[in-house]
Amino acid sequence: MGWRRLLRAALLAASGCLLALAAAQAEVQQLTYARATLMPEGRAARSADVTLPYHWDREQRYRAGEAVFDVPFSLPSEPSEPWGIYFQRIGSSAEISLNGTLLTRMGDVRQPNSDDYAKGPQYVPVPPRLLGRDNVLRVHLRADGGRRGGLSALAVGPEDEVRELYADNFRWRVSASMVVTIFSLLVGAVALALWVTQTEPGTVHVGRRDSVYLAAGLAEICWALRVGDVAIEQPPLPWPLWGVVVTAAFAGWFCGIALFCHHVAGWHRHRSMPLVRAGLWALFGTSIVASTLSLTLHKPLILTAWLGSANVLFMLYAVVYLVGAVRKPEPARLLVAAAGTLNVAMGVRDWIAIRVSGSLADSTWIRYSSVLFGLVLGYIVITRFRAASGQAHDLMANLAARVSEKEAALQQSYARVEQLAREQERTSERARILRDMHDGVGSHISSAIRQLQSGKASHAQVLQTLRDSLDQLKLQIDSMNLPPGDITALLANLRYRLEPRFAASDIELQWDVDLIEPLQRLDAHAMRQLQFMVFEALSNVLQHAQASVLRIEAGVMAGTVQLRVIDNGRGFDTAVPLRRGLLSLRERAAAIGAELNLASQPGRTVVEILID
Amino acid sequence: MWLVLIVEDDPRMRDFFAASVSRSGELALAGSLGTLAEARAWLDDPAHVVDVLLVDLGLPDGSGLDVIRHAVRLHPACEPLVISMFGDEDNVLASIEAGALGYIHKDSTPDDIASAILEMKSGASPISPMIARRVLSKYMSLRDGRGAAAASPPEPPPVASVAAAAPRPVLSTREHEVLELIARGFSYADIARLQSVSVHTVQTHIKNLYRKLAVRSRGEAVFEATQLGLLARPA
Repeated sequence: MGWRRLLRAALLAASGCLLALAAAQAEVQQLTYARATLMPEGRAARSADVTLPYHWDREQRYRAGEAVFDVPFSLPSEPSEPWGIYFQRIGSSAEISLNGTLLTRMGDVRQPNSDDYAKGPQYVPVPPRLLGRDNVLRVHLRADGGRRGGLSALAVGPEDEVRELYADNFRWRVSASMVVTIFSLLVGAVALALWVTQTEPGTVHVGRRDSVYLAAGLAEICWALRVGDVAIEQPPLPWPLWGVVVTAAFAGWFCGIALFCHHVAGWHRHRSMPLVRAGLWALFGTSIVASTLSLTLHKPLILTAWLGSANVLFMLYAVVYLVGAVRKPEPARLLVAAAGTLNVAMGVRDWIAIRVSGSLADSTWIRYSSVLFGLVLGYIVITRFRAASGQAHDLMANLAARVSEKEAALQQSYARVEQLAREQERTSERARILRDMHDGVGSHISSAIRQLQSGKASHAQVLQTLRDSLDQLKLQIDSMNLPPGDITALLANLRYRLEPRFAASDIELQWDVDLIEPLQRLDAHAMRQLQFMVFEALSNVLQHAQASVLRIEAGVMAGTVQLRVIDNGRGFDTAVPLRRGLLSLRERAAAIGAELNLASQPGRTVVEILID
Repeated sequence: MWLVLIVEDDPRMRDFFAASVSRSGELALAGSLGTLAEARAWLDDPAHVVDVLLVDLGLPDGSGLDVIRHAVRLHPACEPLVISMFGDEDNVLASIEAGALGYIHKDSTPDDIASAILEMKSGASPISPMIARRVLSKYMSLRDGRGAAAASPPEPPPVASVAAAAPRPVLSTREHEVLELIARGFSYADIARLQSVSVHTVQTHIKNLYRKLAVRSRGEAVFEATQLGLLARPA
């Protein structure tokens, strides 16, 4: 009884296992076994059972060739849903058929060194009617040496699940690379634009461009090519030339980035700079040599060694840079040091994973870490622009302050000039008034004093002198109020002031004064001189002429003002100007540019003043 | 017999003027004072009668212009005369606008002073060519200003109300001509001959002119006060 129960239990367990197995078989299958026919160029074809992944370069020593893999797989039942096959890596080019029916072509397997489908994951949909319980998937592929061709393990299963696997891988290998490529292109374009438009801060040489932007810009463009290559299944150049280009782009990137790092550290002003630049050029040049040799001679070790030595070089550089950054810490320098160190670490990791251990499925990580350089460059540009705008702001403020300072100074000097002009005016006015007082009221008062002191002058004479002096004072005050150049007003005023004398002297005054337009050229001083002259002429008549009629005429004749004082007195000899009054008449006429004519005979004396 | 009040701070000048007035048979001295305060107090007394005020502008406690205004307000029949050293236009014009009807010079003889007072009482006011010119130009600018005010339609009331409140002080054509001739130096006799009128008529023109200028200045004050809102506009 005991063993039967045991057997039943065992059977149950076994059937459970079988059921579970069947259920699992309906899910995604990882296929790792293949029967392969390998046809490397220049060698005999041979068949072999192989375990996937099959790394062609590694197995066939970087020789080009073709291979046919038959991958059998069984299904528990014929599926009714669409299926799919996911290749993590396949290529360089391939033809895929299922149970004798061609599913798809990836490039032309008969055309060497052209297409490359091994850079990204591939997905092939399978119509359910092609699938039976036992199936054979045939993969005919061509692998170009050094292109990391071959066949990875593949997954078959219902479309949605397999597609999910494919999409996952695609996202990381292709989409992310595209993002990096676009970012690099953007950063590169901006950096080059900055290089074209901006000059190095703090240099005296106007127009000298800042090579930090050139280095970063070229590096980013190279990097865009290197990373973007993932999406280029049909390269514009044949293999291995395209391989050399891509490797050179990689070298161009890290050389450019190294130059960028050097600039950020400020070491480009060091005298070792030419040496560093030459070294980087050499590194770039050897990348072409190494990749060319490696790919044409089918010697992967050359490129691996070159990459390895570049790694060592950059590890050393990273250490030196880190030390330098820590010694003179600056945000930009520290950020660059951190980004550089991380990228060197990624480079070493990629070198080990891809060049040394030779994993077929693996892809590089440095493409992700490289983004950091772009971000650092962005940070540098932003801080520089902030600093520049801050400086501009300070400059503007400074400028505004200086402008207002200058304005104030200018205003001050204007005020000073104005004050000087006013003082000058006051001084000349004062001088004029003093001269007037000296000639007029002063001289009369002093002569009155002399008259009193001598005791010879009569009371009436002294009184007359004093009255003269007061008249002079009044005339002087009037002359200050006379409108400039108004000869009519001058004569009218003089008559008014002398009216009491005319009244006292019993002379008939004939007044024939026209309204004369003011003469622009007679200023206050000239008016005063003219006033003196007419006063003098009238005084002469009143005191000496013994006339009975005095006639005053004023008018304009052909643009010339004619002023005449005419009397019918006894006259005088005009050729002998003994009298002080006549002398002063001539002097004053000359001073104001007037013409003085004297004509005298008993019964008619004319004093004529002509003013243009 | 005219009663004369003298307000002059210089005692000698005051005595001289007082003597000049007393010498004339037609004038009598009503009072002889030295400060603005005394003059005000004297004028405030309604028992005092005054026909002529002789006032110096520079008083120790204020301006003679205030004495003139005070006298004109309290004693409308009083005719003020300003004592001026030089007869300079600024002071004379200010005095005329305060209400003075003439001015005499400090250096006038005693006879001149008495005759100047009597001439004024009989209707003659002196005017110098300079002052005539100033009055003319001022009248011109006033007329221009008035024209501008009338040309702005939205605000007719102030001008109209001032004009209604005071007799319209516009120079007549004849007065204008007289002023122009005086400004050119013609004497009253010359002008009378040129215009075929008596000298007395010319003198009357001038005295009317004085009154108009005083009224004008009062009118201006009212006008300005109305503009400033100090006085309510006459309804």
